[in-house]
Amino acid sequence: MSQWMTLFQKEILEMWRNFKWIWVPITFILLGVSEPITSYYLPEIIKSFGGLPEGAVIDIPPPTAGAVLASGLSQYSTLGVLIIVLGTMGVIAGERKSGVAAMILVKPVSYLSYVTSKWAGSLLLVWFSLFSGYLSTWYYTGQLFEWVAFGEFLHSFVLYGLWLTVILTLTVFFSSALLSPGMAGFISLALALVVSIISGALSHLLEWSPSQLTSYASALLVTGELPEDTLLAILISILLIIVLLWLSVFLFKKKELAS
Amino acid sequence: MEFLEGINWGLLAPLFIVQLILLVVSLVDLSRIEKTNGPKLLWVFIIIFVNIIGPILYFVIGRRNN
Repeated sequence: MSQWMTLFQKEILEMWRNFKWIWVPITFILLGVSEPITSYYLPEIIKSFGGLPEGAVIDIPPPTAGAVLASGLSQYSTLGVLIIVLGTMGVIAGERKSGVAAMILVKPVSYLSYVTSKWAGSLLLVWFSLFSGYLSTWYYTGQLFEWVAFGEFLHSFVLYGLWLTVILTLTVFFSSALLSPGMAGFISLALALVVSIISGALSHLLEWSPSQLTSYASALLVTGELPEDTLLAILISILLIIVLLWLSVFLFKKKELAS
Repeated sequence: MEFLEGINWGLLAPLFIVQLILLVVSLVDLSRIEKTNGPKLLWVFIIIFVNIIGPILYFVIGRRNN
């Protein structure tokens, strides 16, 4: 266990060195907060661009606070996912390429602790960034529109965090299974996109799909209650995370022993 | 510029500060790092002139991790 903690601390320290602890949360804050601000100032933005005939009346009904928060959250499932995948795709593949992995694994370090410590480090970063970004989005929505109940905020936060964890684990999996970071990133992104599109289109058949967690979180914010399939989707996501993590340790071990 | 008067600066100021932090951090990192993907001077311009996206782009693709 103490060995795992050492690896974990090394991971955290490394993320300080390349400023990940600063730029990823800031990016998430800017991504999320831009949503309530643009929807609040939208009438004025349209007015200032001009080009409208005299006397034209544009009446945009102000969106509800829940809808604004939900659209702020949806930023994380597009650009947020992109940043997570690009940021973690090199986490194992990069170290293997540069030979650091071999240097560490010469010592009596188990493959399990090597992979899981890397995964846990990125996990902490993702949840921390999502929390700071989403909390500021919630605060700005409260200031500019109405306050959304904190309980709903926390629930939707956990649902979204779980989906992002699935993406993260997928990226770690491909990063340990393939040699090149670019390939790992590309495949994870493509897979996340395909899964989202398919489960969005066939939402009545795939209620249990992990990517449905994002739409359940939005539904919670807009309507105020959770759809009943949420629990199943949560369980499937957790299962998927465990299986992917186990598989990445297994594949990584096999590859390392072969080379 | 009456359009600017309707804006609540107290709310927007933290965002500018956060953005400034991002800018400074990426410039500090750029000055320390040995090599980047592509010419270093190009990244200086991208970071300074491309609003918000510039520093993020630098961290995601400009930085060479080794």
